[in-house]
Amino acid sequence: MEFSEHIKTANVEDVVLRQPLHPPSRGTLCITGHHLLFSDREEGSSRQLLLLLRNIDAVEKRISGSSGTITIKCKDMRVLHLDIPGMEQCLNIAHSIETLSCLDGVAAMYPFFYRPSDLSLQNQWGLSSTEKYYSQMKELHNRWRLSSVNRDYSVCPSYPPAVIIPQNTDDDMLKKVAKFRQGGRFPALCYYHRKNGMVILRSSQPLTGANRKRCREDEHLLQAVIDGSDKGYIIDTRSSQQAQQARMTGGGFESKSSYSHWKRLHRQMERGKALQESLIKLVEACGDESHNMDRWLSKLENSKWLSHVQTALSTAGLLAECVERDGHSVLVHGSEGTDSTLLISTLAQLIMDPCCRTLEGFLALLEREWVQAGHPFQQRCAHFAYSHARLQQESPVFLLMLDCVWQLWRQFPLALGFSEALLLRLATEAYASDYGTFLCNSHQERCALGVTENTHCLFQALLRPTERDYYSNPLYEPTELAIWPSVHPQSLQLWRGFFLRWTQQARQLEEAQEEIRNMVIEWGKMALS
Amino acid sequence: MASPVSVYNSNALDTHISSTSRESLKMELLADVSLLPGEERITDKDIIYICPFSGAVKGKVLITNYRLYFKSSDSDVAVMLDVPLGTISRVEKMGGASSRGENSYGLDITCKDMRNLRFALKQEGHSRRDIFDLLFKHAFPLSHGLPLFAYLTQEKYEENGWNVYKPMEEFRRQGLPNNKWRITFINKNYELCDTYPTVLAVPFKSKEEDLRRVAAFRSRARIPVLSWIHRENQAVIVRCSQPLVGMSGKRNKDDERYLDMIREANDTTKLTIYDARPNVNAVANKATGGGYEGDEYQNAELIFLDIQNIHVMRESLKKLKDIVYPNVEESHWLSSLESTHWLEHVKLVLSGAIQVADKVSSGNSVVVHCSDGWDRTAQLTSLAMLMLDSHYRTLRGFQVLIEKEWISFGHKFASRIGHGDKNHADQDRSPIFVQFIDCVWQMTKQFPTAFEFNERLLLTILDHLYSCRFGTFLYNCESARDQHDVRSKTVSLWSLVNSKMDIYLNPFYTPESGRVLYPVASMRHLELWVTYYIRWNPRIRQQQQSPVEQRYKELLALRDEYLKKLEELQLSDSSPSSRLANSPTPNTPSSTSSTPSQQYTHLQTPL
Repeated sequence: MEFSEHIKTANVEDVVLRQPLHPPSRGTLCITGHHLLFSDREEGSSRQLLLLLRNIDAVEKRISGSSGTITIKCKDMRVLHLDIPGMEQCLNIAHSIETLSCLDGVAAMYPFFYRPSDLSLQNQWGLSSTEKYYSQMKELHNRWRLSSVNRDYSVCPSYPPAVIIPQNTDDDMLKKVAKFRQGGRFPALCYYHRKNGMVILRSSQPLTGANRKRCREDEHLLQAVIDGSDKGYIIDTRSSQQAQQARMTGGGFESKSSYSHWKRLHRQMERGKALQESLIKLVEACGDESHNMDRWLSKLENSKWLSHVQTALSTAGLLAECVERDGHSVLVHGSEGTDSTLLISTLAQLIMDPCCRTLEGFLALLEREWVQAGHPFQQRCAHFAYSHARLQQESPVFLLMLDCVWQLWRQFPLALGFSEALLLRLATEAYASDYGTFLCNSHQERCALGVTENTHCLFQALLRPTERDYYSNPLYEPTELAIWPSVHPQSLQLWRGFFLRWTQQARQLEEAQEEIRNMVIEWGKMALS
Repeated sequence: MASPVSVYNSNALDTHISSTSRESLKMELLADVSLLPGEERITDKDIIYICPFSGAVKGKVLITNYRLYFKSSDSDVAVMLDVPLGTISRVEKMGGASSRGENSYGLDITCKDMRNLRFALKQEGHSRRDIFDLLFKHAFPLSHGLPLFAYLTQEKYEENGWNVYKPMEEFRRQGLPNNKWRITFINKNYELCDTYPTVLAVPFKSKEEDLRRVAAFRSRARIPVLSWIHRENQAVIVRCSQPLVGMSGKRNKDDERYLDMIREANDTTKLTIYDARPNVNAVANKATGGGYEGDEYQNAELIFLDIQNIHVMRESLKKLKDIVYPNVEESHWLSSLESTHWLEHVKLVLSGAIQVADKVSSGNSVVVHCSDGWDRTAQLTSLAMLMLDSHYRTLRGFQVLIEKEWISFGHKFASRIGHGDKNHADQDRSPIFVQFIDCVWQMTKQFPTAFEFNERLLLTILDHLYSCRFGTFLYNCESARDQHDVRSKTVSLWSLVNSKMDIYLNPFYTPESGRVLYPVASMRHLELWVTYYIRWNPRIRQQQQSPVEQRYKELLALRDEYLKKLEELQLSDSSPSSRLANSPTPNTPSSTSSTPSQQYTHLQTPL
């Protein structure tokens, strides 16, 4: 594709840029296929702004006389204003940004062009995989096996090629189970709890439909999971009413009669559009510049964002309780099994497993549970909360997960090996990135486009020695214990570091964190010298 | 998870009680309480504590002349309460001899620190009469002709906290007296103003007669005096009470000239007067003889800061208590919190102080008053000083700030808190000082490296605001303190704090002496101080404090080691390192490590 056809005006002189935390500056604006570039004209200063067009969520233009102002609202919550001389230039620029910021073709996106000098495409891509996880968990081997039934993605398009399933379930059975689960997402192991040998599996809903269809293979597979123990739990991320209703559209749930050893727990988690609307309300409240902020807390409450955080954390807590305290295996699913399912399995693993709380461990967890497990990033993160485009499949599930992790981080300041900066970075990268990690909707799509061959891996980049310090928690003190979050509304806070990111206050706190990190590192060095 | 034994025990108050092993607990419930020197047992009794979180708990209560102590006898539900009697605001009888229902007969105790306690007793034989009478008598000693515990304690500390604040020393630290400001002893016998301290700083040009004439025109003779002076630009913070303008709009030339002297001292064109009250309240005050500075004050501008009075603040905190104790509001937490308006009041106080600090740092002198100048005024001047002067952000400097702006200038602690007084409904009570500490806490959250002290200090201060174990917060003003020999007969809270400083230190403190802190006083950036207001609820607690404190202690040790090595390096290096040369000399030595610690802030770790 030619980007140039979308760029009628590539350069404009004498543009004034107004952005948070900086005084306005005058300079040259330049639009390329992937970036908006602004460079300061002032003598002696060389301030530049390089903005990935993909990061732009909404463009608003206001023409007055012979000049115009473009307001750019970014997916990282930045709001910029460009005063552009010349009406035509202004319209051209706005048009270019609008078009280029939401081009569909993944192969034309910036990660395929990004070639930093200190990274090589030959480097290993990714940190973890099902295979790797399986080979590390020796304890798994006598009861669980690695199946490559999905090597060509024909059994489940959104699963990776390798999956961990009970030893005595053969691939033919799996194919049948896949037909009984929405999108072919059959129950597969995602976590093994070393302390007691219990596991977490995730799947999509069973396709029981209105006439209560059964699938012997599915029942058999689940029976094999709990073989030798009295029961397992199924955490359904829908209310039982919603699960009932799903039967009308071909979905359903595991009935007591067919799965007698499984106990179903329903926890209604908001998903899809409702979550996106919640984000929109919250972002709107955060961006409200009016001085009359008397109603701030009500607005915050009305957005319901924090109550989604609460539900996610408490459902994850329930999952972890089933595994860690009650000593039972758990299957998690909602309907598609690509959103809230991943959200709570990720959080539960952080709560229970110290290995997931290191910097590498956390990134590997995200890679397994989100990237490889088929969270449709491209659909979910197509737009942030400013876009005027009609909502399609957007939903900030990944952002909600990061927010929940931040709550854990705040409640357990020593227990997590990574910093708030990492969470902020991930929140930004999920929506617009130089790296290929969050491209596409599934492993299959990434494979087809050659993402691993032609782009760089974010997770690898974050672990480079230069970045590692920055994304580590200087106060980290590993603990073997589970970290049970308090989920009372009083214990949850707005993630100001993200939602009020472009305020003086957030900047100051970021600087203070930086200072603390440097201090602790410096003390450590001196102590060793 | 934290051992439930410690859950109900406030952090600050447990330091002198030896820890108890569960074995000894079973043998003799109360044998292990270690009492303070001078503390005496009054009575003990089998009782049931109706715990709002774990239900009815059987155990034993011990009442001494200092505390109410409860320990459960059932080791499965290990509950302990350790409440200084000073914390108690009200004791009531619950139910009667004929009340039905389980545990319906007993005592209801309302505390000043955001909790209530409820005990049940057996209905037979008036079993609560003795304990009620004794508790009532000792919880409110002043209402029964008894001394406060601060006069009975025999505690000894290495350091004498009464020496923390010496007015003359503090003035000298600020660079006073100078050619514009003089120190006057006109109030040495509290003759000019009985609620002011003895040593005052006033414009150099003002004569003692001027002061007397101004005193006649200011409510309770609280004349405008200097609280703080900016070292570089010489702008000052002056505090006072409202002028006695009254309905007829009286004028006082001396007062007008006196304020102009304040302006002149700094050679600016305009003096800014901040009236902490809402405009309408200031107007209403004319009816009772008060008022505000009108146009007759040339070269002055008057700005109202819209902060509500003590009654509004008391009701607001009461509403907050209603939604956090015993049960926390779950379903509409944020809007319920909003409806208490507590954070909004905090915001207004902070933003008022920011305006004061900003004005002063831009070189303009300010006068701050409210009605009497001992509540809102103290909040504003002390917060502005905390923003402007990094010395007050050290552990000792903060003590000086409280001693100076609150204690010496007559914030009516006795009336606002009601130490030892049974009159729980007294309209004079108000959590003004709590609100100030809340504002300080908000600042420490916004500037995590700017304060030498940690949250524990703030909690300790608030606990002993009520406890009556130390003389620090007793009485309304210096004259009353002198009269009751507080400094010679009681122990200062700072004796306790400064004898065990390390637990109150923030390991990440980086002194930056010139820095003015401007917190953001926007609702979006304020938080409810959950670890204070909701600390009694075991479910709200976050990661148990002990590992965090332990880690901080290690970090402090690491920091000290680092500073020591840095010092050695500097000593061995004859030419001063250029990286370290630009650090300013601290105003005063504040902590053991302040000199070298001034410097590491400028070190940059290459990443």
